[in-house]
Amino acid sequence: MKGFKQHALLPTPQHDEQARQDFVGAFRGHLSGRVMPGNYQLFERRVAPRFAAEHGRTPADEQEIRECMTREPYYQFWSALQRRSQELLWESVIDPTEREWSTLITRARTAKRTKTRQRGSLRLDPSLAVPRYHTAADIHLQPGGYHTDFTADDVAAGAIYDKGINLYMGGALGSENDLMGNTLLAYLRERHPSQQPKRILDLGCAIGNSTVVWARAFPKAEVHGIDVGAPVLRYAHARAQALGVGIHFSQQNAERTDFADESFDLVISHIVLHETSKSALVRILAECRRLLKPGGLMLHLEIPRGRTPIEKFMHNWESYNNNETFSRYMTRIDLPAEARKAGFVGDEVSLQEFVPKIDVAQMNYTEHFFWKILVGRKDGAL
Amino acid sequence: MASRKSPKKTAAKGPAVQPRIARVAKGKKPQYFSDPAIDKLLWMTVTLMEELSVTRDRLDTVERLLAKKRVLKASEVDLWRPDPKSATERDARRKAFVDRMMRAVHAELDEVLRGSNRGAEDDPVAAVES
Repeated sequence: MKGFKQHALLPTPQHDEQARQDFVGAFRGHLSGRVMPGNYQLFERRVAPRFAAEHGRTPADEQEIRECMTREPYYQFWSALQRRSQELLWESVIDPTEREWSTLITRARTAKRTKTRQRGSLRLDPSLAVPRYHTAADIHLQPGGYHTDFTADDVAAGAIYDKGINLYMGGALGSENDLMGNTLLAYLRERHPSQQPKRILDLGCAIGNSTVVWARAFPKAEVHGIDVGAPVLRYAHARAQALGVGIHFSQQNAERTDFADESFDLVISHIVLHETSKSALVRILAECRRLLKPGGLMLHLEIPRGRTPIEKFMHNWESYNNNETFSRYMTRIDLPAEARKAGFVGDEVSLQEFVPKIDVAQMNYTEHFFWKILVGRKDGAL
Repeated sequence: MASRKSPKKTAAKGPAVQPRIARVAKGKKPQYFSDPAIDKLLWMTVTLMEELSVTRDRLDTVERLLAKKRVLKASEVDLWRPDPKSATERDARRKAFVDRMMRAVHAELDEVLRGSNRGAEDDPVAAVES
């Protein structure tokens, strides 16, 4: 919203479209600032004491809290309103996208032909099977998800996602939705200052909003971004061209790519792992190890799911109500152990916490926020 | 628009259907209240809130523009009646609004008609547990 950078691939909302987006912003701001925190008070003042009176102990886990909280009208109201706000968010972005649809597609086609930025490219694979964890339910309730082409050469999913995530976080993701990229980059610079990657791979890059950050930070590096969704990749490529950044986008599944063994010195992802599946997670981590050069670094930025049972319950609202189906399973997964299972044996593997610079008022589920970063360094020297 | 091709499913017969972007996400819709009717009423209430907010913004825009241009006094709005073209446009806009508001009710019937024949491959939990 405030300070969001308009570029050639973003539709310009008309009066009422803008008014809808403004309402969504105001409504979601109210829900996260005024309504959501009440769930914690409800739990402390009513739900936990009642549970203690009945069972003689505090609720043991997220599931016991869920059973109590989902019966509380206040929580029911917040949940139902939060869910509706998410639907309205997409609706408010879809309308202007559909109105400017053909223009956006034409601009993306033109970007594909632009020769001035030779370093960028787009490679689609119509035969790629989109995994079931994308097709079974539309992630974050975005109608059609990241993968649906509603027309030929479609870029709608990209345009909708770009403006949608800006609204989702009330603008906190930054003028180019670059907060996640900047956060992971800050981590690399702080903890691995000598790292100067020459070949970078961004997994599940969607519209390349984080990929652009890395390409700008390492202008001499060859930067690749992969995703399973064709419309987001067409958009990503055109968006990167519009921003003057050369990135090689290709439609591939991170579980098994066509890149050569040991061909990257940095493999990254930004809040992607929790959108996959139990088996896909191990395959993706194994693929990271295969792709890394000796001494190469794997960094996966992830959203934490709370420290206490009530925080875990609140964070996992997304899983039960916003089609982040896998995230509730990931809460219980030991990521470094999964990485070792995937082949990071004898390598440095750890789960780091990293505190971002986000306005607390924008937080949907807690007031305490820190990113988690799964780090793996393949044994050897670059 | 020449660049928009009909999706394969609708291209088989009949006039070409203008493609549209989906407005409803795939996946199971949670029920929040013991009575699903409350879910639907709240859904509609929020939609109304939004539409009212949009309308007030638009009215505010119009009134500010008119006052700035010294075209209109507020009393003139009260006496205005639409001509046929305006009436048709307003009818269409109003119909679209009612259609959107009533989606909660349509969904109720859709659920009844669709029954329980959702394929196992569409189960998001099964998709991530495998």
